[in-house]
Amino acid sequence: MPTVSMTVNGKLVKADVDPRTLLVQFFRENLRLTGTHVGCDTSQCGACVVHVNGKAVKSCTALALGFDGAEITTIEGLANGTQLHPMQEAFREHHGLQCGFCTPGMIMTAVDIVNRKGNNLEEHTIREELEGNICRCTGYHNIVKAIGAGAKNMGKAGGATQAAE
Amino acid sequence: MKVVGSRVPAIDWKQRTSGTFVYAGDLDFNNLLVGRILRSPHAHARIRKLDTNAARAMPGVRAVITFADFAPGTRYLHEGSPDRPPLAEGVVRFVGQEVAAVAAETAEQAQAALRAIVVEYDPLPAALTIDQALKGGAPTLHKRPTDTPNVSAKLKRDWGDPKGGRVASSKVAEGTFWFSQQSHISMEASVTVARWDGDANKMHLWTSTHAPYFVRKEVAHILSIPMSQVVLHEIGIGGGFGSKAKVSEHEAVVAALARAAGETVRIAFTREEEFAFTKTRHGMRTWMRLHADAVGRVRTVDAHILSDNGAYNHSGVSVMMAGLKSLGLSCYQPDGVKAEAWLVDTAKQPGGQFRGYGGTQVAFALESLMDDLAEQFGEDPLRYRIKNAIKDDTTTLSGAEVGTARIVDCLEAVRTAINWDFEKLNRNYGYGVGVATGVHSSGVYNAPDSNRSDGAIDVFNNGMVRVRFGGADPGTGQKTILAQIAAEELSVDLANVSVMMIDTEQTPFDMGAWSSRGTHYGGHAIRKAAKTAAERLRRLAIPIVGAEVVRLDDGFAIAGDKRVAIGDLVRLSNEAIDGVLTTETSYVENSVVQGDPKTGYGNASASYNYAAHAARVFVDVRTGKVTVLDYVAAHDVGTPINPLFVEGQISGGAVMGIGAALGEEMIWHEGKLVTPSYMHYAPPRAADVPRVRSIIVGESDPKGPYGAKAVGECSINPPPAAIANAVYDAIGIRITNLPITPDKIINAIAAKEQRKRHFGLWRRPDRWWIGFVRWLYPRGLFAFLHKRQVKAVTPRLVHHPRSLEAPETISSAIALLNENSAIIAGGSDLQIQRRNNIVEPARLVSIINISALQMIESDESGGVLLGAGVTLARLAEQLQSSHPMLVNAIEQIATPQIRSIATLGGNLIQSKRCWFYQNDFPCFKRQGGLAPCYAITGDHRFYHAAMGGHRCQAVTPSDTATALVAMGAVAIIAGPRGERRVDMSSFYSGPGETVVAKDELLTGVWLPPASAQRKGAYEKLRFSQGDFAIASVALTADIDASGIWKNVHLVIGSIGPTPWQAQKTEARLENTRVTASIVRAELDRELNLVADPLEHNGWKLDAACGLAEIIVDRLAKN
Repeated sequence: MPTVSMTVNGKLVKADVDPRTLLVQFFRENLRLTGTHVGCDTSQCGACVVHVNGKAVKSCTALALGFDGAEITTIEGLANGTQLHPMQEAFREHHGLQCGFCTPGMIMTAVDIVNRKGNNLEEHTIREELEGNICRCTGYHNIVKAIGAGAKNMGKAGGATQAAE
Repeated sequence: MKVVGSRVPAIDWKQRTSGTFVYAGDLDFNNLLVGRILRSPHAHARIRKLDTNAARAMPGVRAVITFADFAPGTRYLHEGSPDRPPLAEGVVRFVGQEVAAVAAETAEQAQAALRAIVVEYDPLPAALTIDQALKGGAPTLHKRPTDTPNVSAKLKRDWGDPKGGRVASSKVAEGTFWFSQQSHISMEASVTVARWDGDANKMHLWTSTHAPYFVRKEVAHILSIPMSQVVLHEIGIGGGFGSKAKVSEHEAVVAALARAAGETVRIAFTREEEFAFTKTRHGMRTWMRLHADAVGRVRTVDAHILSDNGAYNHSGVSVMMAGLKSLGLSCYQPDGVKAEAWLVDTAKQPGGQFRGYGGTQVAFALESLMDDLAEQFGEDPLRYRIKNAIKDDTTTLSGAEVGTARIVDCLEAVRTAINWDFEKLNRNYGYGVGVATGVHSSGVYNAPDSNRSDGAIDVFNNGMVRVRFGGADPGTGQKTILAQIAAEELSVDLANVSVMMIDTEQTPFDMGAWSSRGTHYGGHAIRKAAKTAAERLRRLAIPIVGAEVVRLDDGFAIAGDKRVAIGDLVRLSNEAIDGVLTTETSYVENSVVQGDPKTGYGNASASYNYAAHAARVFVDVRTGKVTVLDYVAAHDVGTPINPLFVEGQISGGAVMGIGAALGEEMIWHEGKLVTPSYMHYAPPRAADVPRVRSIIVGESDPKGPYGAKAVGECSINPPPAAIANAVYDAIGIRITNLPITPDKIINAIAAKEQRKRHFGLWRRPDRWWIGFVRWLYPRGLFAFLHKRQVKAVTPRLVHHPRSLEAPETISSAIALLNENSAIIAGGSDLQIQRRNNIVEPARLVSIINISALQMIESDESGGVLLGAGVTLARLAEQLQSSHPMLVNAIEQIATPQIRSIATLGGNLIQSKRCWFYQNDFPCFKRQGGLAPCYAITGDHRFYHAAMGGHRCQAVTPSDTATALVAMGAVAIIAGPRGERRVDMSSFYSGPGETVVAKDELLTGVWLPPASAQRKGAYEKLRFSQGDFAIASVALTADIDASGIWKNVHLVIGSIGPTPWQAQKTEARLENTRVTASIVRAELDRELNLVADPLEHNGWKLDAACGLAEIIVDRLAKN
């Protein structure tokens, strides 16, 4: 079996994988990082979003072998030790979750939105950018609120990249 | 109150936001086997032979089960006559019914074993719809106790004085309303791990359920073991909405597999299985007539409901009961109700429990007709409802004893919030407002002991408190509110309270989260237990603090200046065992009775909750698309225990209801689900819905815990009618058939304006043969062709590519290409084709390392060369100023995460999106030869060709293709025979099929210099954000200062097999000042000459004209 190596949540991992192994399978089965969920495995629902080299990617339709050498962050790697990421805090504060199954993908997407669009996000921007993430519980309202607040807090915490022009 | 009533965030938020919350799919056991189910490919058939011998002998297979592995005659317990076996017994009655199951060491082995099971069927005729089932001489599915074939049950309700009410009335409103089947689609698909402990004879389950009690009861029954031998363990639940409120079939099957194997087995559904094989919301056709007297008061409600049962009973009867009850309960106060409901058997996946439980479907009819009546009386619909509204302390026709009923407060609240009076005064065609109300119980007493709930409180000697409760929290927040109640009663910090649920060994009796009973029953149960525990603590403190009156505060028992920590009280108490003081109590709701099953009369719920929702919509009459601009939802929930969660339930339910109103629809063909994926069944996305503004009204209800009433289900009842009423307000068209999709709006407008297209097919000989075949299809040809194709349905599995190569140059890539290879870039399309068994390449050739495919550069002619490997996101970024139309198209493709990996080449070459083709129908494009096209007789309203269809009616889905054809772009193709250039207008040879050969590689696209200067825009009609086009238009031209158009290019996508260029229209627009009405007139004329739509997709031509009009208007503005 071919070998793949990548940095996942700051740790270099190396494994022999079957060529058809999906990236999400690699996290869940090989690395036992089960926070990245599979909601549809047709890249529609966004429960499987992770960051690959700083960009949000749906890991359910990507082959692990295609990510040799990549730098990856999953939901488990977002917090700074025991200090949760400001976006995670914002989801708590604004009750941006109910069953929690879409939440990891939502949060990873949210951080990516902030990275691309800056800390001051308008509601319609957040909604448009969330089109790749389905939630069946919340009606989105609290998620949108949480992302808006989380974006601002990321700015204060210095966690975000440059604000977009 | 300190904690109860406050906006406390979820207590387990940390795990849920950090990925450490454990669901059943995350569990890891040693030697965990994979369970798979073999399902019927037939809607109705007798099983002639079922042979599992070969499968049992296969490597890795540890168990194979059939009906023979259960006690003779085993059926699920659900009410009505039990009729469904855990695995088929001799007969299958819907596509997907469980026939056999396998447990094996790996998924591949399980899959191989399924394929090795030999099943021979004798197909039987089947009634697939309500109409077919009720037709004289229809084939029957079961022997039923009613006097009408295929009617499983009939219910009659006769409350109050319907006759007197009719006599007293002067006006009637009447209509028939269809509410489609809806799928719950919890984000977590069904998943269960079962472990059989042979020594103890115990079945252990980790399962995603919100009613552990029923799972336990039913699994025990199916396995013929005592209920005490089934143990459920606590596990995360990824949503439910009713789907997990009774046993799910996979739970019984996986338990049987685990017992047969003597090991641990997991069954985890794919999303397709979740859609196609779990129980749905019952589709209901409701005929209703309201009678109102001279002053407008509704006096009598007459109704007849036909509920689509599917193939087995499950909750069919009780869902109808609840639907009927909502008429006798109602937000209004008629004199009488006369109603009947029939449960109609059809050979489809059965209906089951779904949020709203029959009340949702009935509310759509009732609330649509209330608007009709208001209009007849010339009254404002909102005021008309206030006039008829029920008041506090009423005993309703059905015997419901309503305490607080603040429906008027709800209506007034939405009236203010949505600026109702202003909107009604300032009329604007296409814009409208609508209102609707809803009601629901707070947990019905419908079965023995369902008016009881027990609770346990453990106080530990370190001061920590644990709540033990036998229900389950699928995301509603019940766990948190139980913690709040314990913290409140025991005066401890919420952080010191934990909650254990589900665990059947350690939690006391509760029936679970259904019928909106969580707050009422769970709330009372834990309140009683916690109050009792607090009392015990105070009593234990008396000798220590030396006073008779003791209060608890912040973890201490206090009297005067003396205090003792509650943990110390436990430590000192001889009532504590092992350092834990345990209090267990039972709450029985005495104010309710089980309704009389014959008459439906009785007060089965302790309180009733009410709601009014108002929507403001925009109906785009050019495309038929309805957009909800604003939405407010006011709920009378008594005094909320946690307003944050109440608002979450309101918003979530409202959006689910908006989904049912505007797009969610389960569609079957020949009994097989056509819409088993998020690609084809569209729950609302964030941008599809507005902010739902939740308003909590009402006052403390004396029956509720701390005055609280329920909320979970009521929020889904008003939205469909609120939106239908708003659509009527906007354009004067009433849609009675959900969901309100663009085709229905466009067709209704055309009918109203008496417009009809004439395609002059008699003078188009090239369409004669096709017309003849289409005519033959419903007349036996399709049935003949289809019969030959039906094959076994097995869960899908992605097969090998044996290798993945990643060459760095174009030539080395080409050297790797052959018949058995496939090119992969971002993978967003290819991976789906692989898992849908459309392609099974042995070798994948990844082209992401080829730098030559990554360029975007201008050449000396002024044209721009785009590498095929450039991602859509990068194209959008870099061509923003030079080629805005192309960017416009790209921005409407899929979703941001996909655009960041999907490439230009992949977008152009992507597979067709026909929902028959993608979802495994054995169609001509999959099977070739004499296989039929399922679109001709199936549902083809959205994703099929309205012109140029031949053997296949699919379309080319690529948005960039449509734009690039309009831009006059050229495709560059490299292959072993060298490079060739093909105009984009000749690039497609068929729907989603191109001229690129198997050994060739699309390397890029060249944009001619002229394409950069032209004005243009791309418009697309789609169901939801991220969806593929139903129709799209790219229109570009040189427009001079005086407004004259030159070099006009008009291309329509998703209307024919390939992007279609409207050449006649282009020529007629040349050198003119184009307006919206001109473009429509010209395009209409040309479309009538070339189009040849299927029976139900001619509306797409109107929508395409509408899109062209929108673009012209937009270009005129710029």
